Amino acid sequence: MQEYKQIPITRDEIVPTALRMRHDGVQLVMIHAFVQTDGQMRISWDYAVDPVVESYYVLGEERVPSIVDIYDEAARWPELELHELLGIDFEGLDTSKRLFLPEDLLETQGKGQILVTPLSELVEKRDEVLADRQRKEEDK
Amino acid sequence: MSYIVPIGPYHPALEEPVHARLYTEGEVIRDAEVFVGYNHRGIEKLCTERNAIQTLVLVERVCGICSHSHALTYALAVESVNGVEPPKRGQYIRVITAELERLHSHLLWLGIACHIIGHDSMFMHAWDVRESIMDLLEELSGNRVNYSMVTIGGARRDISDELRRKILKTLDVFTPQLDRIVDICMNDKTIAMRTQGVGVMSTEDAIRLGAVGPHARASNVKIDVRRDSPYCCYEDFDFDVPVWPSCDVYARVVVRLLECVESMKIIRQALEMLPEGPINLGKKIPKIQEGLAIGRHEAPRGALSYLVVGNGTQLNHRVSIHVPSFKNTPTVPHMLRGNTVADAGLIIASIDPCFSCLDR
Repeated sequence: MQEYKQIPITRDEIVPTALRMRHDGVQLVMIHAFVQTDGQMRISWDYAVDPVVESYYVLGEERVPSIVDIYDEAARWPELELHELLGIDFEGLDTSKRLFLPEDLLETQGKGQILVTPLSELVEKRDEVLADRQRKEEDK
Repeated sequence: MSYIVPIGPYHPALEEPVHARLYTEGEVIRDAEVFVGYNHRGIEKLCTERNAIQTLVLVERVCGICSHSHALTYALAVESVNGVEPPKRGQYIRVITAELERLHSHLLWLGIACHIIGHDSMFMHAWDVRESIMDLLEELSGNRVNYSMVTIGGARRDISDELRRKILKTLDVFTPQLDRIVDICMNDKTIAMRTQGVGVMSTEDAIRLGAVGPHARASNVKIDVRRDSPYCCYEDFDFDVPVWPSCDVYARVVVRLLECVESMKIIRQALEMLPEGPINLGKKIPKIQEGLAIGRHEAPRGALSYLVVGNGTQLNHRVSIHVPSFKNTPTVPHMLRGNTVADAGLIIASIDPCFSCLDR
């Protein structure tokens, strides 16, 4: 059984932790995020300190610093994914390009928690966006 | 003259939808971008509305080639949350299936790579040899893909003594065939000329960009989850982690072939040491306890990880899937720079990309 070590940190410790790990040559396994049952957002940075996975997590933050400068591409895609699907803002991350969501729905990106919103509400939201766009085009 | 060459998302040379944009100066690629997301099915979202057994069936459909890896890693994570240890025989059967899958995946990739190079007879030869592995998998699980060999707490189907002997016998026939392929690929002039010095990614870059699996090992980074963080009784087996220092497409061919040889070693050991006893912990649908755990597995393409969060009911609270292609694909633009347009297809294929996995 693989050990998963969970270590709580504050928002200010995210970048120093990443710098320390990068310096030690540790690989970033992934950046995970989910909304807990009590409604708090939990974001964790998992590093493969073999044979253990060390997970540094922050609670209740929806705006955190980006570590793209430190981990380059290994962190860019995970951060973009969380921005699109869970609406987390990474300070310093270039979000002008999409990753998974359709190119023609760029205006909705990073504004909703797609992974936790019920499907019926998502459909309503999409209809709203499309109606809004049509109205704008008619105005032109 | 500078051009922008778009490839895909739907293109005859691509097996899966991906869009690449090459910024060229004459024949030489100066910069490149890769766009994904054409196959996004929202599997992570669907997982939150299913119980553990239903999720096993669902995550197997994430990918067609490494379907066993996905089910195995999800099971590892759920077992870790619940704190249960499957019986040893079940774990060995999981390992045998996983290694057979690695063999067929690497030979499939070799065939495609040789086809892109233009060495079509090698492509047919590799796929012919692969077929004997596919037959074994079919006999073992009843399917050529989506094996359904894993359940929470063990394996679903047993290996009879007759089948055990048959697999060993087939491997005896398979070994000289594989050795011949390894010999040809390492010494053939056509393959060497098309692959050596193409798509170079240095060791330092591989670490910085976070490459995993055979792609990283071909850049001389010795990482392998099976060795670094053993699971599923991998610590019982004796095997090497092959690396190659030349960092180009040739290294990726060699590393994958040497890995096939190591996989054979593991399968042989597992079959010879196959312990007696039950294969799983029963058929009850498990409750996923409150808490979270990560499962990691060395899939054919690299380290695959699943984060499973439970809330005390049968349903998952959150399943987060992270596949090796998600780590390897961002390294492609880096490798394309400075190469010619003719090599672009080969370089993209050299990471063994799986965009169905990536998009989920």
